[in-house]
Amino acid sequence: MNLIAAGDIDPAQSVNWLLPPLSELIYGGIASIIIFALIYKFGGPAAKKGMADRTAKIQAELDGAAEALESARTEAEEIRRAAGDIASERARLLAEADEQASALLSEGRERLAAEIADLEARAEAESAGLAGRMGDELRVEVSRISSSVVDQLVAETLDDATQQALIEDFIQKVGAGS
Amino acid sequence: MSDARIEGYARALFEIARAEGNLDEVEDELFRFARSYESSDALRAALTDDLVPADRRQGIVESLLDGQATSTTMQLVSMVIGSGRGRDLPEIIDSLVARASASKDLAVAEVRSAVALSDDQASRLKAALTNSSGHEVNLKVVIDPTVIGGVIATVGDSVIDGSVRTRLDQLKSRL
Repeated sequence: MNLIAAGDIDPAQSVNWLLPPLSELIYGGIASIIIFALIYKFGGPAAKKGMADRTAKIQAELDGAAEALESARTEAEEIRRAAGDIASERARLLAEADEQASALLSEGRERLAAEIADLEARAEAESAGLAGRMGDELRVEVSRISSSVVDQLVAETLDDATQQALIEDFIQKVGAGS
Repeated sequence: MSDARIEGYARALFEIARAEGNLDEVEDELFRFARSYESSDALRAALTDDLVPADRRQGIVESLLDGQATSTTMQLVSMVIGSGRGRDLPEIIDSLVARASASKDLAVAEVRSAVALSDDQASRLKAALTNSSGHEVNLKVVIDPTVIGGVIATVGDSVIDGSVRTRLDQLKSRL
């Protein structure tokens, strides 16, 4: 109020304080229409293209992200599968190792049992053979000693008189046989 | 050694003994030495060992027979041993004895007894063997303890066995 009051313009004579003069509205409106038309005509395609490019870029980025996501998922799946494979391979290897160890142990036990049985059989055979040989040797030795003892006993019982009697008997037999 | 070589040595010893004029004595001494030689493994080993020098072997013979036999016997044995024919000594001497007996038309009668025979027993046994074989015999008595008792007489290929040894062997084989 102070400003109005301070100026030279009479608010009652002046134009609307809000709306411009009509002509200004018309010229301004036409100019605006022309400007907008020019903008639409010349800036629209570029804007559309820019928007399309941006959309395509965003779409490409979205596709790339989706692809990366899919790839990451695939890789994660592969890793999980690989981890599963490793676990199953580990389990398989452990089972196989257990089986081989068990087979080796069983085979070793069987072989040891067979070797022990073979050794026992051989030892028994050798023992029997040795006993037989010792028995034979003992019998031969007993026979030899007995023979020697008999010879010695007989020789000791043959005194001089008996020796002479044997010689005389021999001479008589030879003489009688002639 | 071949028979021809044994016969050659026997003939040589026989001729030397006959030339020396003591054939009977030498023959008897050689026969007894041969039997001792056969019965002693140690003596045979010493006198047949080629690693022992000949003069050493002859020295052993001379030390054994010195004073026990005539010098002719000692030299004949020493010669055979020195020529390396120790292994054939008994065969050479047996051949010499056979040759000496044959020269007197006698058959060798080897008699083995555990004890010595008296002269009377030897004489009667000689007569009995002569009658038995139909040939005059040259009696050679060998004292052999392995006979144990009795006598074994061998004349040529004939053996008359009256020994306790053989009877014991027969008894053992029957048992």
